[in-house]
Amino acid sequence: MHPISFTVNGERQELCVPSSMTLLELIRDALHLTGTKEGCSIGECGACTVLLDGTPVTSCLVLAVEADGCELTTIEGEAHGGELSSLQQAFIEAGAVQCGFCTPGMILSARALLSRTDDPGEDEILEAIAGNLCRCTGYEAILEAVRIAARRRRPGEAGDA
Amino acid sequence: MIGRFEYARPKSVEDAVSLLRERGGDAAVYAGGTDLLVEIRNGHRAPALLVDVKGIDELRRLEIGETELRIGAATPLNAVAESRAVRHRLVALADAALSIGTYQIRGRATLAGNVCNASPAADTAPVLLVAGAELIVAGPAGRRSVPVQELFTGVKRTSLSAEDIVVEVRIPAAEGALETAFLKQQRIRGHDLAVVNVAGSVDVDTRRMAVAVGSCAPTPVLLDPVDTRGQSPAEISERLITLAEKATSPISDVRASASYRRAILPVLLRRLCDRLAAEGAVA
Repeated sequence: MHPISFTVNGERQELCVPSSMTLLELIRDALHLTGTKEGCSIGECGACTVLLDGTPVTSCLVLAVEADGCELTTIEGEAHGGELSSLQQAFIEAGAVQCGFCTPGMILSARALLSRTDDPGEDEILEAIAGNLCRCTGYEAILEAVRIAARRRRPGEAGDA
Repeated sequence: MIGRFEYARPKSVEDAVSLLRERGGDAAVYAGGTDLLVEIRNGHRAPALLVDVKGIDELRRLEIGETELRIGAATPLNAVAESRAVRHRLVALADAALSIGTYQIRGRATLAGNVCNASPAADTAPVLLVAGAELIVAGPAGRRSVPVQELFTGVKRTSLSAEDIVVEVRIPAAEGALETAFLKQQRIRGHDLAVVNVAGSVDVDTRRMAVAVGSCAPTPVLLDPVDTRGQSPAEISERLITLAEKATSPISDVRASASYRRAILPVLLRRLCDRLAAEGAVA
């Protein structure tokens, strides 16, 4: 067992984890943050995407012990005080959510993209979410949601995504 | 839980090598884990100890020297793909790195891991072969250099021992010395492993061309060099096709049939020559 100390969505956590526990298991089973989904378990589908120190990772392929000293952000950290983020709001407006299973990972990949650039090109958006599979939407509505959120972040345009 | 193993995160290369030595073949080097953790989950490997090398500062550097790139073994592929200097000096390496996996995978997976996993389809392997790269390897007897050309011994097999760790990948890449290109045939536009991949380099002074082919033999294959002086791109590509047919032995697998691989390989080699010709590297 390894003692680890980290923050999840800004809140400090200290606990002991076994070596072979994945970050995904830590999030869902120990922290009970079940917004993060388990899909393929081999890093292909992106449903378990979370941000580790701001970098999107598939949490099924990260060990829980590696969260030590890190800032972990899950989908539960996206809304603040019961208010959806404007990225989440854009997903609703664009109709980018159908069954919803890919949505938490998709939003966190998009969040990481928007933290890298306010004005992503089409190729950049596609590359950023290529690791998040969606079987419902056909992706067009998701691309539109990311464009809306990016537009609202740019100076002189409304929104606070 | 995936498997049963212990975890250690040494701070120095020497401590990592000692841990590997103590545990014999029972320990595995853990860098990005994007291959290793999947293999453990699938029951293909069962190491008793994972030695996480991401805590070793020396392994996390990306240094752009006058004549070479030095890429620490724990440096993630996104850092390689997004480095302007890497793209400027060795565009094939940036393109190959970017073609691997997804943004999330590349944030974890490493260049050294891509080659040490020794998949015949490893996308960076043909590039490192045509660039004449070497691995700086630390083992119980100290450090040594292993040319990438001497690394691959079979499918998922390398000449490294269980007590070795890679410290860095060292790639000769003086400014303006090499024109390079990387091409990859895959089944879908999103992330996929290569059906066939090829890399080429042309030495700007000698006009010597090196080409390597992946996914068409048990290991990535470096073809005999070709003197491009006085040759048209068409003549060069026909020469490369002859060399590649002799040096490869494609098989059928889940991604493509052997006959498809044999059919697409000449197409990629012609495109590679055209790409290098467009850069002015070939006649």
